[in-house]
Amino acid sequence: MIGAFEVLIGFGIMLGMMAAGIHVAVAIFSVAALGTLMYLGTPLLYSFGDTLWGTLNDFILTAIPLFILLGELLLRSGITERMYSALSVWLNRMPGGLLHTNIGASSVFAAMSGSSVATAATIGTVALPAFAERGYSERLALGTLAAGATLGILIPPSINMIIYGAITNTSIGKLFIAGILPGLALAGAFMLAIMAFSLLRPEVAGEREPRVPLRARLASLVDLLPPAFVFAIVIGSIYSGWATPTEAAALGVVAALLLAAINRKLTLSMLHECFLSMARTTAMIMLIIVAAFFLNYIVGILGIPHTLTQWVADLGLSPLGLILALVIFYLVLGCFLETLSMMIATVPIVVPMVVQFGFDPVWFGIFLVIMMEISLITPPIGMNLYVVQGVRGRGSISDVMIGSLPFLAIMLAFVALIILWPGLVLWLPEAMG
Amino acid sequence: MLPRNPYWLARSLAHGAAVAAGYAALGLSLLITFEVIARKLFNFSLQGVDEIGGYVLAIGVSFSFAYALLHRAHTRVDVLMARLPAVLQAPLNAAAMLMLAAFSLFMLWRAIETLHETLEFGSLASTPLQTPLWIPQSLWVIGLGVFALLTSLLALHALAQLVTGRVGALNRDYGPRSAQDELDEAQQDYGGSVSPTAPATPATQGGDAT
Repeated sequence: MIGAFEVLIGFGIMLGMMAAGIHVAVAIFSVAALGTLMYLGTPLLYSFGDTLWGTLNDFILTAIPLFILLGELLLRSGITERMYSALSVWLNRMPGGLLHTNIGASSVFAAMSGSSVATAATIGTVALPAFAERGYSERLALGTLAAGATLGILIPPSINMIIYGAITNTSIGKLFIAGILPGLALAGAFMLAIMAFSLLRPEVAGEREPRVPLRARLASLVDLLPPAFVFAIVIGSIYSGWATPTEAAALGVVAALLLAAINRKLTLSMLHECFLSMARTTAMIMLIIVAAFFLNYIVGILGIPHTLTQWVADLGLSPLGLILALVIFYLVLGCFLETLSMMIATVPIVVPMVVQFGFDPVWFGIFLVIMMEISLITPPIGMNLYVVQGVRGRGSISDVMIGSLPFLAIMLAFVALIILWPGLVLWLPEAMG
Repeated sequence: MLPRNPYWLARSLAHGAAVAAGYAALGLSLLITFEVIARKLFNFSLQGVDEIGGYVLAIGVSFSFAYALLHRAHTRVDVLMARLPAVLQAPLNAAAMLMLAAFSLFMLWRAIETLHETLEFGSLASTPLQTPLWIPQSLWVIGLGVFALLTSLLALHALAQLVTGRVGALNRDYGPRSAQDELDEAQQDYGGSVSPTAPATPATQGGDAT
């Protein structure tokens, strides 16, 4: 069988090919093919056709295009601006004012759309002009936008969790439910930090917002109903056992279609734009997934998880030591790799190993998603930093980086929290049964 | 080396296929919604919706690969490449296209072999519908064929640009997308539903709601 050293060389080749600009899917497939040819022979390589059909014909993965379509429909159904206004009415009296709205709106919006880029672009466009006028610390405002938009992959529905669940054979429904509490807790921690900042240094928070009468505030709740409605349908149907995640996605698509129609945004050209976006994103994700499923299959046959588990045990690492090593591993990797690719390329190798060390695969999925969120705002390549800077369109990217640092620190502390207290992640899915 | 027309044709074909995949996904959503409601309220099941969902994914994605390629949506890592001089980027971009073409041809070859076996054994899906598998698999193979054809053409084009030393054009046509490209696209896509100036005073806007 294969030794740990060879595995590391293979991993190095894969990273090297990615760094050289080879398409991520091709790099993943190439090392899988290389391993097959060196250790297993051509017949197994030729079985790729069956893997390809089996992966693409999988009803579980059909959830991916459907959730993307759901997000696209919501983005174009005209509910963003009103949702932002409604949230601001409720959140802006807290110390830190509109900064809380950024966190709240970004998490709701990112959870619906599943895309950090779309979230940062849309919320940023709505929010940034307001901050310039009101004398907020620009850096902190930029940081809330970049960090808030990362919450979407943790709060269900999350494409990343579907992919993780499909590769590792973990219940996607449980992953979704497990993401709710950590997602809310992390958003809450962000808001607490903003409050603390604003109380310690009032100048970052700008002018105090005018009080809005209760009647107006209650009226604004109407604008929060559409996202709540879609969320309730999708998550409620999964939690109650009425629908599988794929079926829940389909219910969400129909609900979003109704919302768009009610808002008079449903036109043929709008629908086609949604379709094109869906096709593009789905194809991009699925090409990588096809390669990763083949890698997953080959890695299993080669006994690589066993080899690595043995190797880590020989190093004398405790389970806690292993997780801390993985925190560092993902922090470093996140500085080089695009986030989704980082997850898909490592999951086939890492997950079987941590499961053998006694970690719950649902817990590890949430851990991994938080590590991905961190990499989205880690310099030098954290995608959200660049997107927020792009929306801003002037000044230096380092303002965004500095503004995001407090939130980066909170996320790292949060990782420590779920390591020490796994119940925060596992309590809800276990209650679900 | 290649006339402009084939690109125009390829673009509209890929565009049409992507829109068709969208309609398939929409139709599937309606079908599933009907199924879930019927199952819960009337204890009645259509049977085989999940099977159809699998086919929609397989065929839709195989046809969307080409569309994503034309929009340079297939993921590449640009962190190192962006720091290299243009002269070094060019051969890497050409190599990436050649390897993608090789991968797509290998996918097509193995997919044809899978279809071949299906035909040979007359395989049926092991489901209530008992669909003859050659029907969805043929469409799937055609989609992969379009992708393989397009990657091969583009790879040859990139190679020709490399050989003739048109470095700038090569990097422009086949370079990885940057975060700025992603953002431009997102703003173009969703800009219509968001006006940057209107909600500059969210608080008063909320007040207007009364």
